[in-house]
Amino acid sequence: MAKNKFRNKSAKEVEADLVLNEDQVATPTLSRGERFRRGVRSQSGWLFVAPALILMLIFTFYPIVAAFINAFKQDYNGITGYYDGWGFSNFVHVVKGDKNSGGADFVQCLVNTLVFTFVSVPVSTILALLISVALNSIKKVQKAYQTILFLPYLTNALAMGAVFATFFTVIGTKSNTDTVGIINLILGLRNNPIKWTDKVESPVWELFNGRLNIPWAKYIVLMVYEVWSGLPFKILILFSALQSINKQYYDAAKVDGASRWTTLWRITTPMVSPQITYLLVTGIMGGMKQYSAVVGIFGEQMGLNYDMGTMVGYIYKYIEGDKTGLAFAGSLILFVIIMVITFINNRITKKHTTYR
Amino acid sequence: MKITLQNLTKIFPGRKKGEKEVRAVDDMNIEIPSGKLVGLLGPSGCGKSTTLFMLSGLESPTSGKILFDEQDVTTLAAEKRGIGLVFQNYALYPHMTVEQNIRFPLDNMRIKKDEGNARALDAARLVQIEDLLQRKPNELSGGQQQRVAIARALVKMPNVLLLDEPLSNLDARLRLQTREEIKRIQRETGITTVFVTHDQEEAMSICDIMVVMKLGIVQQIGEPQGIYDDPNNLFVANFLGTPPINIFKGKVEGGKIYIGDEAILETDVADQEVYVGIRPEGFIYEPNNRIRTNVLTLNVDHVEVMGRDKSVVSTHESSTKPTVRCIIDSDVALPKDADKLRFKLKPNKVFLFNAETEERIR
Repeated sequence: MAKNKFRNKSAKEVEADLVLNEDQVATPTLSRGERFRRGVRSQSGWLFVAPALILMLIFTFYPIVAAFINAFKQDYNGITGYYDGWGFSNFVHVVKGDKNSGGADFVQCLVNTLVFTFVSVPVSTILALLISVALNSIKKVQKAYQTILFLPYLTNALAMGAVFATFFTVIGTKSNTDTVGIINLILGLRNNPIKWTDKVESPVWELFNGRLNIPWAKYIVLMVYEVWSGLPFKILILFSALQSINKQYYDAAKVDGASRWTTLWRITTPMVSPQITYLLVTGIMGGMKQYSAVVGIFGEQMGLNYDMGTMVGYIYKYIEGDKTGLAFAGSLILFVIIMVITFINNRITKKHTTYR
Repeated sequence: MKITLQNLTKIFPGRKKGEKEVRAVDDMNIEIPSGKLVGLLGPSGCGKSTTLFMLSGLESPTSGKILFDEQDVTTLAAEKRGIGLVFQNYALYPHMTVEQNIRFPLDNMRIKKDEGNARALDAARLVQIEDLLQRKPNELSGGQQQRVAIARALVKMPNVLLLDEPLSNLDARLRLQTREEIKRIQRETGITTVFVTHDQEEAMSICDIMVVMKLGIVQQIGEPQGIYDDPNNLFVANFLGTPPINIFKGKVEGGKIYIGDEAILETDVADQEVYVGIRPEGFIYEPNNRIRTNVLTLNVDHVEVMGRDKSVVSTHESSTKPTVRCIIDSDVALPKDADKLRFKLKPNKVFLFNAETEERIR
């Protein structure tokens, strides 16, 4: 009798268990922790994520962690693997710079990068917006203009840099000039050309007793290039955003007596503010990692002794050789700077992206 | 402000070569007296919205003139006409608050901040949304958005208020309420108002003057009741009234109107083929079987009881529509299970139309 009872009970229990299990699978109301624990315990789950996970471990997570650790190895030598204990000496060297030893100056690279980014990205975004609005308002040959404006996007950055260099290059000496470049001709400087891209003779502002040099002519060349090469993608994004705006808002604005400027500033811009935000955020992130265009125009030395150097250029210079620690420290600083900027970006744009 | 349209025509060219052009509005002549509420009524594609947009200045006429009072505004830009326009789907700026939306026209007029705020608040009060000023349009219901749109149109104190299908995006109950509201606002402000609708009930209920249009051509202009009681042609008679008018093929012979074999009424119209239109409320039940003249016999299908009155749904071989509807008082006792019922007709509810031109024979 007792035995029978027991058997009965156990059968019910099994049934209850089954029901419970079904419930648990079906209901999505599990706590996050419980779901996570289940996911971790699931063997087939691990199998599914394995290919991506292994690749990410090797190529993303390991380098990040290694860079982080190596940045704190004092006087780390990438070739011999020798290092002199742990500490912040790499960071100190990076900030103090070792220009006198013929190397790149991190502060110079940092200033360059910030100026390039925070001038060229906003300028090209504003230009792209104006061009998109203009493009949106024409009907004839709109497609043709669209294609022309998008062409630079398909062109290689180094090739474009080389072409840009020829626009600005002055070949020959003052007395015997082969060419002064098309830009000098346009500016009417045939007889007294600005040596825009010249390594040595390009004009420079010296600040802080020569601690910081602003080779403004080279700056202009690079930023013109940056703005121009950044346009196509931005126009593509903004133009398609503009086309999706309901025409009735413009009719309403017209009836409400809004001028063209008011319409652009108070109707169009807020309506494409999500796209503008996206372009600014990604543009700034990309700008902070600027490298190839500078090399394309100014050569591997990034101007004269890295006076046009960027942060990535700095890192690349030291990545091999006996000062690898500087590269690690530099990349860590770059990482932190990008993170801080992105954080500020988020804060600002959350407040000002007014629509959607 | 008095609005005069003279020979107003709008032709949209065919999109491809060889495609026919569309005459959206054809030689329109109307005069809208100052301070009236005018409804442009017609089925879709009749050119009523095009007319409204030409009045607003967003669409320019192919030929003809638009006069506000004595001033020719035909080529004047929209923003200089002093009009307020409420769009069908309101077109509220989604990134601005209600207050900013209402203030937007004032900002463009460079009105000072204090005065602007006061006027925006006045406009908001008029449409009863003063509690919602800090909300964004997507936080409002359809009816509230509608009010904001009207406030935005009114805040610049326009000479003319134009409304494009103002009630079409609202549910039935809100529609009733809002149309009263529009009437009230129009009365309070005294602004000449033109609105577009395809709903004849809506137009009839609030218009001072109604303009019935079909395929770009004005069919009839007048007070709603006047048009209902005295339609110019078959289209107007058919378009106005719910349930719609019953139409029969008939003829006039020897001073009598015949539908089928039955002489239903006497008339002094000359002998001819006609369409006979009878309003649903034009039927009087005739219980006396022996009366054989001046009655119309209908084959009863069923009777719908609607409380206040009942609706007899029947058929007749001469009817141009599948069913004939008669509305009679609910107090009138009808015999149960009768196949045929006979009705006398109210002469003022019976209209004759020329069988060819469909014009009214008066």
